[in-house]
Amino acid sequence: METDVIIIGGGATGTGIARDLSLRGVRSILVEKDDIASGTTGRNHGLLHSGARYAVKDIDSAVECARENRILKKIARHCIEETGGLFVTLPEDDPSYQDRLMDGCSNAGIKAVEISCKDALAIEPRLNSSILSAIKVPDGTIDPFRLSSANMLSAMENGGKFITHAAVGSIIMKGGAVSGIECVSAKEGRFSIHANIIINAAGIWSQEICSLAGIKLKMLPSKGSMLIVDYRINRTVVNRCRVPSDGDIVVPGDTVSLIGTTSRSIEYNGIDDLRVDDDEIDILIRNGEKLIPDITRSRALRAYAGVRPLLAVPGNTAGRDISRGIVLIDHEERDGLKGLVTIVGGKLMTYRLMAEMASDLVTGKIGVSKKCLTARIPLPGSERLESLKKNLKLFPGISKSVIGSAMYRHGYRASKILKNDKKNYRQICECEMVTEGEIGYAMKSLNTGNITDLRRRTRIGMGPCQGALCTYRCAGLLNEMGHTTPGESLRMMEEFLEERWKGVRPVLWGDGLRESEFTYWIYQGLFGLGNIKNDNDGSSDEI
Amino acid sequence: MKYDCIIIGGGLAGLTCAIKCSSEGLSTAVISCGASALHIASGSIDLLGYSSGRYLTGDLDTHLDQLIKRKKNHPYAKIGKKCIWESLEFFRQILSKERLNLFSMDKKNHFHITSLGILKPAYLSQRSIFNGRLLDSYKLKKGLVLLNFRGYRDYYPGLAMNQLKKNPLFRDIPLKTGLIELPHYTKTARNMLEFRSIDLARVFEDETYLSKIAEDIRTGAGDADVVTLPDFIGIHNYEKLHARLEEMTGKSIIEIPNLPPSIPGMRIEHALKTSYASHGGEFSSGDRVTGCSMSRGMVEYITTENYSDTRLSAKCYILAAGSFFSGGLKSGYNLIHEPIFNLKVAGGSDRTKWASDQFFSRGSHPFMEFGVETGTDLHPFGADAKKIKNLYCAGAILSGYNPVMEGSGGGVAISTGYKAALEVIKKIKKSSLE
Repeated sequence: METDVIIIGGGATGTGIARDLSLRGVRSILVEKDDIASGTTGRNHGLLHSGARYAVKDIDSAVECARENRILKKIARHCIEETGGLFVTLPEDDPSYQDRLMDGCSNAGIKAVEISCKDALAIEPRLNSSILSAIKVPDGTIDPFRLSSANMLSAMENGGKFITHAAVGSIIMKGGAVSGIECVSAKEGRFSIHANIIINAAGIWSQEICSLAGIKLKMLPSKGSMLIVDYRINRTVVNRCRVPSDGDIVVPGDTVSLIGTTSRSIEYNGIDDLRVDDDEIDILIRNGEKLIPDITRSRALRAYAGVRPLLAVPGNTAGRDISRGIVLIDHEERDGLKGLVTIVGGKLMTYRLMAEMASDLVTGKIGVSKKCLTARIPLPGSERLESLKKNLKLFPGISKSVIGSAMYRHGYRASKILKNDKKNYRQICECEMVTEGEIGYAMKSLNTGNITDLRRRTRIGMGPCQGALCTYRCAGLLNEMGHTTPGESLRMMEEFLEERWKGVRPVLWGDGLRESEFTYWIYQGLFGLGNIKNDNDGSSDEI
Repeated sequence: MKYDCIIIGGGLAGLTCAIKCSSEGLSTAVISCGASALHIASGSIDLLGYSSGRYLTGDLDTHLDQLIKRKKNHPYAKIGKKCIWESLEFFRQILSKERLNLFSMDKKNHFHITSLGILKPAYLSQRSIFNGRLLDSYKLKKGLVLLNFRGYRDYYPGLAMNQLKKNPLFRDIPLKTGLIELPHYTKTARNMLEFRSIDLARVFEDETYLSKIAEDIRTGAGDADVVTLPDFIGIHNYEKLHARLEEMTGKSIIEIPNLPPSIPGMRIEHALKTSYASHGGEFSSGDRVTGCSMSRGMVEYITTENYSDTRLSAKCYILAAGSFFSGGLKSGYNLIHEPIFNLKVAGGSDRTKWASDQFFSRGSHPFMEFGVETGTDLHPFGADAKKIKNLYCAGAILSGYNPVMEGSGGGVAISTGYKAALEVIKKIKKSSLE
């Protein structure tokens, strides 16, 4: 294989670069060791920052956020909900922080308005009623899976190629310049891709990629854990008005709400095995309850952790205090290795800007003069506003909630999925209203390899039952559609339930425990999924 | 209102207990909050299926002996082997009277096919699931065809076939899958693509469509003489319909239990409820216990949602409310408790130790063994650690066993339900003599 630019890493930044380059007519191949948005991109709180959270301490980031916020609302509207946000001061908080926040917002050009506590409670009825003050900001929410998928789709429609589930084994170098990479994947085995430019957009894994080229880059992994509760219990993003700290934000998203976030330094060799610590759960619940006292009456659905991709800066070691600024490194200048570029740091919010910066640098190197178009051209799905009324008329017999869910997830592309086909009636995931038609579309057009990937494209298994019924259906369906062998389907079923369990296990009490017992009864008790080995080695040689 | 005994829980344990009590002439009431775990079970009764992850293929009597010796706190150890066998015979007879016969391979496990094509051990099965009689077909190496209804979303025979092919037992047996149509002759208003097992069972509740499906099955099966289908035959007239269908097709028809609701499980529930009603027992469905009053270490009365202010009292009470799934046990942030009587529970207050890191861990999960602690008489202990002498516990609410890992859920429910009934009968007869 041969291309102009190799992109390593399929997070928001990598997929954003793929899109940016493809719109400029530059050929690229993106290589990702897992799935798109499977790293830090898909493991954050999905906040569409207004910039206010950085306004006091990091004005540059705040300004960047505010600007990108406005762009994303135009180009990615089907990935975004303009919920608005609040900063509330609790009796135990320093009341002077409020003024500093107002000043910071004003300096950064963020529209922050002080409102009365009564008005705040009218906007957010479940809010702690003893708040002392409230500020309204233009925060929102952004779905990172949808965003990455739309960027990938846009790139693919413009000639970009994506190879997921393939790890970079080595970087091929020739006389002080890179000339390609060698990859390993379970499906394709070993293969190489040749290009004179490699963009390292591997986030926290950038350190590993650089070391493959013999270059030293030190990342400081800082783990952030989050907890999801069933039901969307708040309308707006609720922030605590204080110096950012553990458990001070509650973000609504899709059908759930999320309490974020902790910050803990971890060893670099621990980044592939992230676990939520038990005391982090305590911290998140205790602090979440301070903002929304009812929050623990909702069932805790799962907890998960992500790693902030922070670059080490001498003298600064604590996760939350390091600038989250963007770092673009031309390794030709820094290390004398021609053709390698690293883009790291930043935030989900600034992925597009990061992609633009990296693309500007490499197009300059290969003599392409076309300018960046990503701030202007909407992402696939956000081309136009889709009309529910029109779709209801177009697809009689398909329930409103199925149409609504498809539109919510795929925006303007929803009608493609809902094409008047009886198959769309077959709901595979009833929690999230995922139909056979949507699964077929994701498998065919969105570079989907397994059920976990499919979850990122469609939200399958993300609802209250966490895959209790849809895992089997989905595994069977993928085989029926010809995407998997029966053996692969069985393995995927087990892997998917283990993946769901990783998030359920830390919050296993109340109805979560009840649901898990139900799922265990079905897959182990009724199906015997854990007994496959027994069957195969013939230990049941009598009937 | 005053009864001889009130049973909280209308599942396998509660109903077995209720039938035994009412058949002995006790005035009996069952309080049931809804669909029991029978709705998510295979419908086969497992007595003891596994030991340390291996199938138990030998004499179950011996396996029981070994278990009882090894696990002193196991419900089986508490009630003893004699009572276990007696209870299963009783259970078989009451179901048989309701025209739901259960089959076994003497005192050994048989293996039924799951929807993943994995074989699972069980002691008793319904005629369409019990595959003991297929032995000859297997030996004759005639074909087996796994049929499904086109568009049915809750069953995928391709997965089952692949797994069966890997099983040495099926190595030389020709296997294939096939589809049969349903919608073109059913008048149901619902879309076939939204069907669950219960919708299929409703279609095949009587003989209306039997000859048509028989024709489809015959065509779909070709020369194979064993046909599997997802559980689909109705609930009320099942045995007759199944026999009729086998007669019409000339094939052995095997049902594969599937995603909930479990039709075989519902057949058992229906048979048990009918039997109970025939003995004149009262059944309050969709009801829930709201409170209880204790007096001198005994239960004085309970209140329920349906009877609001009315105090329901009895000489004896049986708690057979199931595990977490059914609400018999509850878990809080760092607490496992029994919500009605606040009984002593084996569980633990450190939630980090309740489950294993792997979902399909070889050692299963500690929470599966959590439950109420009792003595050998099945009396639980109250908050003051004293035995509650007119309360008994039965079924999945009990601690000390793992129904999934051991393959013992059905056996424990039936035998402890039966044992509780024996204790109650003994106590009431004794007090009436006095």
